[in-house]
Amino acid sequence: MLTAQQLNSDFESKTEGEIKKLLSWSAIEDADVERIASIASVSEDFSDAVIQKFYDHILSFEEAADMFASESTLERVKRGQKEYFRQLTAGVYDQKYFAERKRIGQIHETAGIGPALYIGAYAFYLNQVGLELLERVGSPEEAFRLHLSLLKLAHLDMALALQTYVEARETTIEAQQREMSELPTPVLQVKAGLLLVPVVGTLDSHRARSLTIALLESIQSMRARVLVLDITGVSAVDSMVANHLLQTMTAARLMGAHSIITGISPTVAEALVKIGVDATSLNTFGDLERGFEEAERIMSAHREE
Amino acid sequence: MADLRSSLRVTIARDADVVAARQRGRAVAAEVGLSRPDQALLATAISELARNVVNYAGRGEALIEAVSQVGRRGVLVTVSDNGPGIDNIEAALSDGFSTGGSLGLGLPGARRIVDEFDIESKPGEGVRVRILKWA
Repeated sequence: MLTAQQLNSDFESKTEGEIKKLLSWSAIEDADVERIASIASVSEDFSDAVIQKFYDHILSFEEAADMFASESTLERVKRGQKEYFRQLTAGVYDQKYFAERKRIGQIHETAGIGPALYIGAYAFYLNQVGLELLERVGSPEEAFRLHLSLLKLAHLDMALALQTYVEARETTIEAQQREMSELPTPVLQVKAGLLLVPVVGTLDSHRARSLTIALLESIQSMRARVLVLDITGVSAVDSMVANHLLQTMTAARLMGAHSIITGISPTVAEALVKIGVDATSLNTFGDLERGFEEAERIMSAHREE
Repeated sequence: MADLRSSLRVTIARDADVVAARQRGRAVAAEVGLSRPDQALLATAISELARNVVNYAGRGEALIEAVSQVGRRGVLVTVSDNGPGIDNIEAALSDGFSTGGSLGLGLPGARRIVDEFDIESKPGEGVRVRILKWA
């Protein structure tokens, strides 16, 4: 049984075993491959005609016509299409084939050709191929069997292309999330020597690091004695987030600043205790007001020294 | 272990997936009828386990299932990966043990939070942790 993980992993790095699994998942058997390979020369004969009809069809749409405005682009794409058809009917479905499918998927994605356009065009293409087979292959039954075999491969192709779309989309979303997590966490100077940092959202490891750096830089540039980290807006705290907070506080202490944490919600408090985080090392106060009172106390103690 | 009612699979490969797994877990917990504090506890446990996947295995998945047994309902979460596995499970389950510079509270912490905890791992063959919290 194929796991989702195997389906999701990079096709380029597919091992032979994984490719075998993918082929058997699509029920592509040796008989299919042999059948397709047996008509390689016939396919070569009609590929030009099919490709011509394919582009006549596509180019009747304005969007596509714009895309292939120059004659040279169109020629290049047609050559690519012919090469694709040659590979599809060559009967060799190895790592190189899968990597090439992925590359084509990426090109479509970049060109803004979405799944609907892609699959729609593919259907037209397969239809033309089917008609050619019906005319050129011995019996209708043989033509039908051939077409069924081709359909299996075509569907695997489409699956790979869709996978590429999804992966590309995921990469985009991740980049956007990165960007959002890099939204500067404001470090506010409440008064001379006292900084307030309202932490909002999710503290993933990347964001926690940039928060630490921003804080330490602010301590230096604003000559802070005390900083109040308010985590009212943090949705969840696990041991990693707690660890980051502890490390930030230790680093701040090394730079001569005391840290105070405020705004721990009841559920966060319970979770931290149950996980086993030593809460005494987190200098915590119930709310911001208390936190500021403690900050004042520390600062006046410093002044008296 | 119990009837399978509905399940939810979340791929874990990056930080954002940890958040996703945690949120899905919390949503299922709410559906099943766990109290709000218990929802948060389960979410934290999922967070710890999913974080381990990202940090040590790179890739894995969380399967979140609503389960029921005579008279009670609960959430079963299976977090698995095909990473390097754990050499010494007993050590990994003790407080403060870490090979990755963390607080070393992930596994023992998650175990304390839930009602049932089960871990299987062989070096080189990944880790599978199952946790269950009853409503």
